[in-house]
Parts: sequence; C-alpha cells; structure tokens
Amino acid sequence: MIEEIRQTCRTLLEAGTVNVVIAYGQSNPDGPVHPIFVTKPDDVEKIVWNKQCFANLTTYLTRKEVKSLGKAAILVKGCDARSLVVLVQESQVERSDVHVIGLACEGVGEPELAGKCRVCEVHMPVGVDVTIGSTEAAAPEGQNRYALVDEFMKKSPEERMAFWKQEFERCVRCYACRGVCPLCYCNQCIVDKNRPVVIDTSATLKGNFAWNITRAFHLAGRCVSCGECTRVCPAGIDLRMLNASLAQSAEKHFNYRAGMDPETPPVIGTYNAEDKENFIR
Amino acid sequence: MARIGVFICWCGENIARTVDVKRATEEVEQIPGVRFAIDYKYMCSDPGQTMVRDKIIAERLQGLVIASCSPHMHMKTFRAAAKAAGLNPYLVEMANIREHCSWVHQNREEATAKAVELIRLAVGKVIQDKPLDAIKVPLTKRALVIGAGVAGIQASLDIAEAGHEVVLVEREPSIGGKMAGLSETFPTLDCSQCILTPRMVETGQHPNIKLYTWSEIESVDGSVGNFTVTIRKKARYIDMSKCTGCGECWNKCPMSKTLNDFDYGLSKRKAIYLAFPQAVPARPVIDKNACTKLKTGKCGICAKVCAAGAINYEDQDEIVTEQVGAIVVATGYKLYSIGQEQDNEKYTGYGEYGYGKYPDVIDALQFERLSSASGPTGGEIRRPSDGAVPKSVVFIACVGSRDPAKGVSYCSKICCMYTAKHTMLYKHKVHEGTAHVFYMDIRAGGKNYDEFVRRAIEKDGAKYYRGRVSKITEENGKLIVRAADTLAGVPVTIEADMVVLASAMLPSTGATELAQKLKVGYDEYGFLSESHPKLRPVETNSAGVFICGACHGPKDIPEAVAQASAAAGKVQVMFARNELTRDPEIAKINEQNCAACYACVRTCPYNAIEKAEIRDRQGNLVKMTARVNPGLCMGCGTCVAVCPSKSADIDGFSESQIYEMIKNL
Repeated sequence: MIEEIRQTCRTLLEAGTVNVVIAYGQSNPDGPVHPIFVTKPDDVEKIVWNKQCFANLTTYLTRKEVKSLGKAAILVKGCDARSLVVLVQESQVERSDVHVIGLACEGVGEPELAGKCRVCEVHMPVGVDVTIGSTEAAAPEGQNRYALVDEFMKKSPEERMAFWKQEFERCVRCYACRGVCPLCYCNQCIVDKNRPVVIDTSATLKGNFAWNITRAFHLAGRCVSCGECTRVCPAGIDLRMLNASLAQSAEKHFNYRAGMDPETPPVIGTYNAEDKENFIR
Repeated sequence: MARIGVFICWCGENIARTVDVKRATEEVEQIPGVRFAIDYKYMCSDPGQTMVRDKIIAERLQGLVIASCSPHMHMKTFRAAAKAAGLNPYLVEMANIREHCSWVHQNREEATAKAVELIRLAVGKVIQDKPLDAIKVPLTKRALVIGAGVAGIQASLDIAEAGHEVVLVEREPSIGGKMAGLSETFPTLDCSQCILTPRMVETGQHPNIKLYTWSEIESVDGSVGNFTVTIRKKARYIDMSKCTGCGECWNKCPMSKTLNDFDYGLSKRKAIYLAFPQAVPARPVIDKNACTKLKTGKCGICAKVCAAGAINYEDQDEIVTEQVGAIVVATGYKLYSIGQEQDNEKYTGYGEYGYGKYPDVIDALQFERLSSASGPTGGEIRRPSDGAVPKSVVFIACVGSRDPAKGVSYCSKICCMYTAKHTMLYKHKVHEGTAHVFYMDIRAGGKNYDEFVRRAIEKDGAKYYRGRVSKITEENGKLIVRAADTLAGVPVTIEADMVVLASAMLPSTGATELAQKLKVGYDEYGFLSESHPKLRPVETNSAGVFICGACHGPKDIPEAVAQASAAAGKVQVMFARNELTRDPEIAKINEQNCAACYACVRTCPYNAIEKAEIRDRQGNLVKMTARVNPGLCMGCGTCVAVCPSKSADIDGFSESQIYEMIKNL
C-alpha cells in the first residue's frame, strides 16, 4: 500500500497538480511518526504509512505557512476526513483547492489499537478524491459510541466534579490541545483576549476549568472525535470525554454528527422550526 | 478618574415611596468615578432637564447615569438633553429604579439597597461607554398595505394622496373586505356599499396604488426603511391585461354548486366567478377546486366564450418582490365560529344554539347579506330554510364574547350597535314582525350611539331582554328559544322564525403567521400588539410596521378608518425625511481577528452579516471576514454569542461593558 501512496503522490507532484503533499514521515525507523511536507517528487520516498500514523494532518491545511506553498494534497484517514468536512463547512478550506488522498485504515496504535479506533465507523474515508487500499473492517455491531460517557455519567455529580478537579489540576496550559486541533483555527483565541479577560490565563484550577470547558463548548457540534487533543496532552487529561459528551448531546437532541455529511448544515447556527425547545425553561 | 454625574429621580412618589432617594444619593456619591449624585422630584420635567444640561457643562461630565424609569420611557429625552449640552448622547445610561425596583418591592431598606446596586451597574457601564454616531439609513419611500378592507383602503388612499407609491395586497379576488358585504351602517343607516364602492374604485384607479388582489405575503426581509417583500400572486387563470370583465364566462359556466363565500354560504356561485358585482378589479377568478376543466381537463366553455382570449388554464402561482420602506397591516377580523368546529382548542362553541344544524339560525354577517340590496334575496328578509318572511326574529348578543368559558373574554364592541341596527332593518322591512334581543349589557358609547339604540327600542319597538339564552330547539318548523329575563326574574320562551347570533370578533385567519413574518407581537387571541396603548397606538415594536383596523382589536368602521388615517400619517412622517437615523447600538466585527467561520452569517436572524474580502492595494486577497450591514443589524447580539473568537461585539453593549457591570455588582 505504501508504494501505491508514494506513486500517487509522485504523479501529483510531477504533473504539477499540487505543489505540496502533506503526509506522514519518520526520520528514524524507531522514532515517532511526524508530518512532512513533500514538495519534490523524489522526496516521496520519505512518506510512511504504519500503525503510528496517529496525526490528523488536516490541522495543517489552515496554517498560513502551508497555504503559502500553494495547492496541497493531503493524506487522510476516515476520522481525519470528517474534520476536513467541518473545515469546508466553516469556510476555512476551499474543497477544490485540496487534493484529498483517502487511506483505508484498520486503526492505528500498536500493540493496542487506539481507543477511537475500537469504535471507528469510517475505516474507508468519505468525500475524498482518491482512495488507496481497501479494508473489510467494519464498525463493531451494537456498539455504543458514547459508552465511556454513559459509564461516567452514572457517577454522582460530586464524584464527577472531583474527577475533573483532579484532571484539570494537572493542566499546565501548554495549549497543545489547541495547537493540534484541526478545528481550533481562530487567528486569536478567546483565551488570548485581554480586553476584557474572559478566561484566566494562569494555570490555576479556576482558569483551567474555564479554559477546558470553554474549548469543549466551542467544539460542541463540531468535534469529530479524532482524539488528537487527548493524544498530545502532556498531562494525560482525557479531553475526548468532554467533547464526546457534547457530541452525544448534538446527536441526541438534533440528530447531528459533525463531519459525516458535507450537505447537512452545521447544527450550531441552523434553525429549524421543528427544533426542540424543551431545554428553554 | 472618570467624571460621571448621577441624577436620581423621585418620579413624584413612584420611586421615592419605596426607595430612600436621599440615602441612595449619598451612597452613590461614594462610587469611584462618580463626580456627584443629585436627586430631584421629576428629572424628566423642564427644570429637571435644565439641571442635567447645566451640570454637564458646569462639571464637564464625561457620562451621565439617570436613575429613574425604564429607558423605553425616557432614554430619548435624556439623550436629547445630553446632546443639547454638547455631550455625545450615547454617553447616557439609565438605571431603571422604578419598574425594576420601586414598583416591584415593598421593603424600603432592601429596595434602597437594590437601587444603589442598579446605579452602580450603570456607572460601570457608562464609564466604558464610547461616543457613538447615529446611523443614517437610506429610505425607500414606498409603502406596503396588507389587507384591502375599509382600513387598508383608507390607509392606501391617504398615503397615495400624499404622493407616495403604495403596494396594496389583498388575498381575496376583490378589495372591499367585510364592509363591502354589509347592508347599512350604524348609527346613520347609510348604505355600506354606497359609501365604500366609490373608495374602492378610487383605489383601483389611483396612479400611486399598485394593487395585488388574490395575493398573499410570502415573506418579509430587511428592516425599517428598506423592506423586501415577497408576494405570492395566486393563480387566477385569467389574463388580467386581456380580460374586460364582460361576464360572458361566468354567465356560461355550467358549474354552479359552490357556496358563495361573499354571501357566507347563503347562495351559490359559478366555478369562474366575480367576487361580487361591484368588485375591484372587476375581473373574475377560477375556483380550481370547482372547475371541471382544471380538475378533469374537460369543459373549457369559458375559454370558448371569452372573446378577449383571457382564460389561461395553465396559469401558475407567481412570486414577485417589492421594495418598500414602511408596512401597514390591516388584516381585519373574522367571526367566532359558533358551531362545534373551532380552529382554536380554547373555544368550545355554542352547540346548544344549533348553528349549522338549524338553517334558520344564522350569524350576524349572514343577516347583513340577507338585508343587503345586493344580497341573495335582493334585500328582502327571507329566512334561509324555506324563503319565508320571518314574523319573529330573536337576536342574541355576546355569542362567544365576554365568556372565557366558551369563547373569548373581551367585548367585541360592535355587536350591541349592529344588533340594534339589525332590529331596525328588520322592522323597516317587515312591519308586522317582532324583533327580540337578548343582551348582557348595552354598550353604546360613541357619538349618537346610545340615541341609536334607544331609537331601535322606543321608535321601532324592538323587545330587549337582559339575559342569556340557554337553548334553542326546533318544534313544528319553529325555533324555540329558551332564555332568562334577569330584570323581570322570569324564564322566557320565544317561538321564533329565525335567530341571529352576534358572534365574537376574532383576528382573521393567518394573522399570527403574518405577525411572525413581520416580527410584530400579538396577544393570546392573535390580535396584533401596538407599541404603547395610549401614546403609540398604531406603531408596533417592529420599527416601520404600523397597524390599523380590526387586526388590532374589535373596532367599528369609524374607528378603523380613523386608525388607518393615523397609520398613514405615521408613514408620511417617516417619508417626510430623506433618510432614517437609527441608534448605533449594532454589531461590529473585528475584521482583523475574524476567523471567517461564518457562524454569525448562518445565525443572524436579520441576514445582516455578509461574507467579505479584505484586499491589499494591489488587489490581492489578504483574508476573508464577516461584515455587518449597519442598515439591517438590529443589535440583537446573536452573533456575539455564537462567535468563537469573540470578534463580534455590540457598540454600546460591548462585552467589556457587560463585564464591568458584573464586576461592579
């Protein structure tokens, strides 16, 4: 499969269809997989595809530095393709400006599959220009994609509060979650605003609560559960659970799942006369 | 340190009764940034305002807080005062210590403390206020009038006569409304058609009036001064430009089984029909539910006989848009349905009166047609069942009105008068007959109104009984009316040949849906709400939208006409200027900061935000951004709530101001 990927990228670069390919690379066979930006056809040999290809590369599409390189091709897994849909919906990416190479994916993570991959429903990416590889892998039957949240919600409010206090206490406000998230693309983040100061910037429990909860709210109805925030968090905070809980609300109340269908308008900012109003008291 | 002046009003006793104004003044003086606090009995009065102006100059104030009533009441007053003293009017804030404090509290201690807190909030806000300039918006000097009954006609003619174009939309095939079907009008008994039809003709021919009949409002976009109205012209199947109204088509049409709604079901009409002989425009319409050609493709007689070739069976609904600056709503009323079938679950109807079961139990508008010279009987009073002249007629007032258990709680206002009129019309035509009236109270306030009712009773001999009718049954072709005469304290039973029910007035069908399109408030019954019951009776809370006639509440013809002229007057006041000025408290986008996700564009209820490009001098695209159209923005703040990067903010209600207020609390 890797040869097919390299060949596809080489053809695209040689033909001048794209100026840059956003792909996975590995400097050292035992080292971590990192994103690479391939601009020369011969460099396609540096592209890798293995179980360590966690990163959601769509986050780089909105970067000024990448945009300045010209038209891009990008490798996406099924989960990454969903965030691309949201970026297109939110006018951050012009779909025709990107050549999307979908990769059939049976999950990343070795020896154990990543948590998100165990409940994955998009092994074959949708809405791509070309798909490489194939897989028979399918969503596990009768699965509950919000099982973690449901389990957590069985606890009492005090226990849950205690849990999050313990988690957020460790947050060092490095903003890696924001940096890696494809949907955190604002020029100036709300946390960096200082007139007025909306969120306390110091790494105290109060400020950490405000930051992490605000970020989750800003992802409500948008997060595609690519799990990157959780993966990169140096403090090991399970941020995905916060986002999953809001995704569950969006699905439960508005039957909406982010990034599944480019034709469905985003749930935030779309009004239907049939929308439930039972939360208004 | 800021130089803020705080002016605390007693509002006579309204505030001072509950709030210790003197103590509040002392406490407020301690708030940082407050230069002084001063109290006065009536801050809005001339000496009060003079004091405000003098203080602004003497103390070189940077902002004012007026602690008094609601800004709805006097914000304009104090902004004008500030402007007169050379201070930007948007550096004035009001702390509402009347509606939000003294009127709703009893404990003097607590109310005083709350008043101080409210003032503290306002001081926090005013310190963050920035001088703003009023927004100037271009104005389209054309008016839309919705509904062409007597009120809509009057409003249209007034505006048109003032030299402005009017778009008049009527959903029926002809203008004229309910009044065109009335017989004679109280208290003068002049013929309704004789006074209305010349106005109808004038409306139809007026060079400034663009008439859309058989049309409905589809949607309304934009805001005061610049509305875009989408109108659905329903398929008429007649080419209006060719048709001469000769009448061949409806004379020859073989389908004559449809109930005539202009006669409220008392007669039949053809499938192609003229609404009534005096209709304006005098052009027919094809009822697509009755026409054989449209239903089965066979027949086509009307097209064959039409010398002008005006029949078009292929006609489709047409959507047109019109640009207007002001809207007058005159959608009128309908009658409460007396039978069991109700369109509102709150109403139960009067099954015991047998309306719909006994053909000779009719409602007031049906009686109007029976006594009208253009009606189904040519003006002779003949009952619907067998066409006999009724010798005894019972009129029942307040059917559905003033009865929240069965109908509505309000008084329909015109029934006392028209019932008296009905007895007169009946007695003038059937001299030997008897008119019986059952009433709750006689409400005849108005010029020559009570005299009119007395004439019905004393000169024309109508028999009035104060009491309610409990049941109507039919025996041997007679309607047996059982009732109580509460003045005599006895039960009454009357054998009647016909019964006329004065049923309640309701807003016309679809009024609430239209109100939603226009963003105009309405009450529990669906009557549209005026902006202020005394001082702004024809304005609504949706700027540029005015109301008149029975869509606002039960009303007789003189009142509807007076209100229509008032609404037209308001439109002319608007049109007397070349542009509108609006308060500048609207959204602004920080375009440098905007991430162009366009959540605001999707969310804005007024479509006031658009996608825009920022380009450098060479024309290269620097970035995309959202941009507010100041003419459309209503300052609701939805964009502020939805913007993830906090790039949207409202001038005069900025995030920093709200934060400052919260911090001051």
